[in-house]
Amino acid sequence: MRARDNPFAVHRVLGIRYRLSGTTWEELLARLEALRFRAALVGPHGHGKTTLLEDLGARLAGRGCRVRTATLHEGDRRLDAVQRRTLLDDLTPSDILLLDGAEQLGRLSWFEVRTRTRAAGGLVITSHWPGLLPTLHECRTTPELLAEIVGELSAQGMETRELFDRHGGNVREALRELYDTWTTGSAARTGSPSPADR
Amino acid sequence: MEWMTVEIQDGADAFLPGETVEGTASWQLDAPAETAELRLFWYTQGKGDQDVGVVSAFPFPDPALQDRRAFRVRLPEGPYSFSGKLISLAWALELVVEPGSRASRTEITVSPTRQEILIATGAAG
Repeated sequence: MRARDNPFAVHRVLGIRYRLSGTTWEELLARLEALRFRAALVGPHGHGKTTLLEDLGARLAGRGCRVRTATLHEGDRRLDAVQRRTLLDDLTPSDILLLDGAEQLGRLSWFEVRTRTRAAGGLVITSHWPGLLPTLHECRTTPELLAEIVGELSAQGMETRELFDRHGGNVREALRELYDTWTTGSAARTGSPSPADR
Repeated sequence: MEWMTVEIQDGADAFLPGETVEGTASWQLDAPAETAELRLFWYTQGKGDQDVGVVSAFPFPDPALQDRRAFRVRLPEGPYSFSGKLISLAWALELVVEPGSRASRTEITVSPTRQEILIATGAAG
């Protein structure tokens, strides 16, 4: 199978947007406003934090905010020069700052971000754990969610509970495994297409 | 109703490296455009993050609400269009209108055989 035709190719997975559960966008935005736009999206790896942050940013931009985004990766204990300019320079009340992976920052760097971004209209972060800023939303996944996404991407139902459990609810990693499964043509053998696990 | 298209002369969609692509970009917009340009680029799809390389961009000055512009683009020598297990590389011509990042894309194949190069995978597919 060509990589571009794999139903679990990244460009297709990225088309799946965050599905709010237990709340609505209106409620989420109202809560963010109540938190003075300084809040955290919390959850483990592969639970949709980054996707939700992107979707939130798009909605805030649609409301006229100037959204400025920086992303930290594993081991980034401080902001690099570009990230510093993005998050700390020339801030105005119309700026909403999005910082993905804030838990990576060292204590001093986080303190600097927290204090120097007060001139902005808001700071929304993602973090693997709560406590850096008030939690706006805790990102969760379920076997049903994975089954729904797999069904949408592959257009077939598949037993996914064991896959979900094996990856500890990390949907991103589960979908990567399915990419490999499809690539080797073993989906039909190992995936046992069946009515979706919903 | 708003629409945009990129049409290649004679309906061709596969080219040799270094060949020249000719065609027309046409559009009808609901809102005025500040800029309109044609971009030639390659992009990857597959398991990892997507990469994109914009090779050239051709601005169309003073775009009207309804317009039609001819273009002539020389393709580079590479990379070739290919697909393997982990990654595919494809080429496209895209008309992009701002504001709003309105876009219309036409995919093309660029290779010495005019066909996407398939890297042997030894797998079903």
